[in-house]
Amino acid sequence: METVLAITSIMFFPAGISLILGGMLYEWADRKLVARFQNRIGPRWFQPLADTIKLISKEEIQPLGVNRALFFGLPVVALAGALTAALYVPIFGLQPAHSFPGDLIVTLYLLSLLTMCTGLAGWNSDSRFSIVGATRTLTQLFAYEAPFLLALLGPAMAADSWQISKIVAYTETHWMIVLQPVGFVIALIGLMGKLELPPFDAPEAETEIVAGALTEYSGRGLALFHIGKSVEMVVGVTLVTAFYLGGLGNPLIFLAKTLGLLLVMAFLQSVLVRLRIDQTVGMWWRAGAILALLQILALIVLK
Amino acid sequence: MIATPNLINKVVSGITTWARVNSPWIIHFNSGSCNGCDIEILATLTPYYDIERFGIKLKGSPRHADVLICTGPVTRQARSRLLRIYEQMPEPKFVVAVGSCGISGGTFAGCYNIVGHIDEVLPVDAYIPGCPPRPEAIIDGVVKLLTHLKNGTRPEPIKPQLGEQA
Ligand code: SF4
Repeated sequence: METVLAITSIMFFPAGISLILGGMLYEWADRKLVARFQNRIGPRWFQPLADTIKLISKEEIQPLGVNRALFFGLPVVALAGALTAALYVPIFGLQPAHSFPGDLIVTLYLLSLLTMCTGLAGWNSDSRFSIVGATRTLTQLFAYEAPFLLALLGPAMAADSWQISKIVAYTETHWMIVLQPVGFVIALIGLMGKLELPPFDAPEAETEIVAGALTEYSGRGLALFHIGKSVEMVVGVTLVTAFYLGGLGNPLIFLAKTLGLLLVMAFLQSVLVRLRIDQTVGMWWRAGAILALLQILALIVLK
Repeated sequence: MIATPNLINKVVSGITTWARVNSPWIIHFNSGSCNGCDIEILATLTPYYDIERFGIKLKGSPRHADVLICTGPVTRQARSRLLRIYEQMPEPKFVVAVGSCGISGGTFAGCYNIVGHIDEVLPVDAYIPGCPPRPEAIIDGVVKLLTHLKNGTRPEPIKPQLGEQA
């Protein structure tokens, strides 16, 4: 029975197919909102689904000079990491499928797996655009990762636990956005950095380096990376909402809250322009990390 | 029982065709045009015309693209680059020639430095005439290509009528 349950939770719910479809819906909502902010009509609701099916049905070219195992393995690992992270997160406002003390750290590292895989995929390639993209991806990872972690540490310290379900139970009665506004802003912007949305899209800046680390990927590999990214979007948005915007509560209200967060993210995406990679790193370490540290310090002192 | 694989094939090919028609990602290459057509293509990509409605997205990498949009005649220098970009695209791929120059060499026909029109180098699926074509015409051409894909046919190849020089 245990195994059946585990397999179901990985294949269908909460991770697996439902999450992939959810990720596509979130991606569509994001693209549509950005389009509306730019006064366009925007893509139709099935657009991410069509993109994915098309990519999967296309030819996959293995470029010269790549390590075959890495080239085909990395997209799978990336998607698997993002899907596994979902097991510990209250997706769509439902209780997490699995939980153990310290799962917050595991989730955060699983979420970074996608970025690491993207970086390695670029490195694996011979194309100079991929290598520049990979360098930028990994540099940016080191920029936002620490402040993002510190920002999620705030609620964890307030709740005195490293377990997501306990933290969420605590935040249900304490609106962390009011108690730790700095942490919320850093977590939100860190999430945008994680998803490489503008203004942090230097790693895939199409005007400079074609498509960044994924330049040489086509067909299935590209599709898997795309899916991984939209899954990561769902997990990230869920995590930030659950931590800062008043816990789980009613699933419907929770969904509305995540959509509200998505609206803010789409707004920021459409009003901000791309930062240079040195500006990104400088901003995160000069402002982001220090503010996050100050907040944690204040938390320790006040507690 | 014998019909089952056929049915599955039919359903799968129906789904892939649907996806292909609804998500054409384009890449744009200028093989020697005067830049007039390129400006019109860029205008087509602006929010004013919003081709993301049809799922069309401009991609930087030929590995990601489905439709190669070419402008201009093919110069001797650009020929190998054009071919290389075409070969870098994964199957299935389509080519759209934009502008009179791409169709027949246009105003450059017979120049010493050009190989000819795009059809002499690549198999072109759709031609969009005009010098330069308006953004509406470009959208119309792409939509025509998509309609043909949906019906499972390739657009009729129109052999351009060339003058004596070519
Ligand atoms: S068709 Fe006209 S606008 Fe286009 S490249 Fe030729 S001369 Fe220029």
